[in-house]
Amino acid sequence: MTPDRYLALIQAEIDGELDGGERSELARQLLADPATRAVRDQLHRLCEHLDEIEYAEPPAELRANILQALPPATVPLTRYRKSPPRWRYAALIAGLVGAGALVFETVRGPGPATSEMAGTMAAAGGPVALDTVSLGSGPVIGRVSLQRDGTGLSVALELAAEAPVDVLVVSEGRTFRINGLGRQSGSAGPSVVALPGPVVRGQAVELTFLISGQQVGRATLKVPVDR
Amino acid sequence: MNEEDDSTLVRRCQEGDRHAFEQLVLRYQKPVFNVALRMLHDRQDAMDVAQTTFLKVFEHLADYDPAFRFYSWMYRIAINESLNALGARKPLAGVGGNEADDGPGPDRQAEGEQTRRAIEDAVMQLKPELRSVITLRHFMHLSYEEMADILQLPEKTVKSRLYSARQLLREHLLQARVDLI
Repeated sequence: MTPDRYLALIQAEIDGELDGGERSELARQLLADPATRAVRDQLHRLCEHLDEIEYAEPPAELRANILQALPPATVPLTRYRKSPPRWRYAALIAGLVGAGALVFETVRGPGPATSEMAGTMAAAGGPVALDTVSLGSGPVIGRVSLQRDGTGLSVALELAAEAPVDVLVVSEGRTFRINGLGRQSGSAGPSVVALPGPVVRGQAVELTFLISGQQVGRATLKVPVDR
Repeated sequence: MNEEDDSTLVRRCQEGDRHAFEQLVLRYQKPVFNVALRMLHDRQDAMDVAQTTFLKVFEHLADYDPAFRFYSWMYRIAINESLNALGARKPLAGVGGNEADDGPGPDRQAEGEQTRRAIEDAVMQLKPELRSVITLRHFMHLSYEEMADILQLPEKTVKSRLYSARQLLREHLLQARVDLI
């Protein structure tokens, strides 16, 4: 009977894991003991047979069955990370929208007239919708509206997505970014962002939607020329 | 067309791209099916396990930790699903009638074929934890490190189980008078 020590050396030899000393030790045993040689040959041959067994072809219908069984299009596919509680998203949205005003004001230089509500939350009462775009398909769905608030413009965003959405807003050659929208699926109501300057007829506001830095949609809102 | 690597396809899946998932299915349906087939020795059961494996992969992509190799994660699911299927089997069911391949034709009775069948039968006599190391090492040709990842065991344990499995296979085949030389 082959001692366990040599069985282990034979298996290590099969896996290419013998060092020089172990190889010599096994070689000496193989020369001295025909039984060990027989076991070695059997194990080598067994492993060769195992390695030679080929892949079987899967049934032709396997792929179709898998794809048909997938859940409908909107599934929770987000990057690996620990999901923060929902209230943190709500707080993030509120914080970013508010902070957007400060950032925009800082970037754009000299301060506006006190009547100009630049980048702050729009006044609550009486906005008039000037243009609306519905986002009916794709990773981001919902609605964005351009509205007149008093003498200024604002954008209302009602977005839903399976991952936080960042929005780039370009208006009158100025760009600012709102991060982390869309996760609340309407439960938090629309996010409203005021734009600088007065209402200009024909003015266009470009919105670009990003998820994880990748562009996933665009929308253009316009002030009608007859306003 | 350039073939995208797994991590790119996984990222696209996580962003909602179902076509990327289809590419992963195309890439891995054969190895996943074969993992299950070597564990279960039954084509229908292997197909069911392969299908369940891909659905679980899809459902849990959000939880996938990119620190691990994607295929290791997927093979782990396939092995676990195979073990679940084995656990649900009635004793002795599945080893007989519905074999891994179509019935042997007259030209498949060669000695080599008989040896292969005897080896496959011997593999099925192993305990599932030993069968899984044989499957991953000799059918999937994975390294000790990859096997340890998939089985979530120390490499030393993987190696020890592999040695035991080979030795048991050798003894079983000798008892069955299968000529290994």
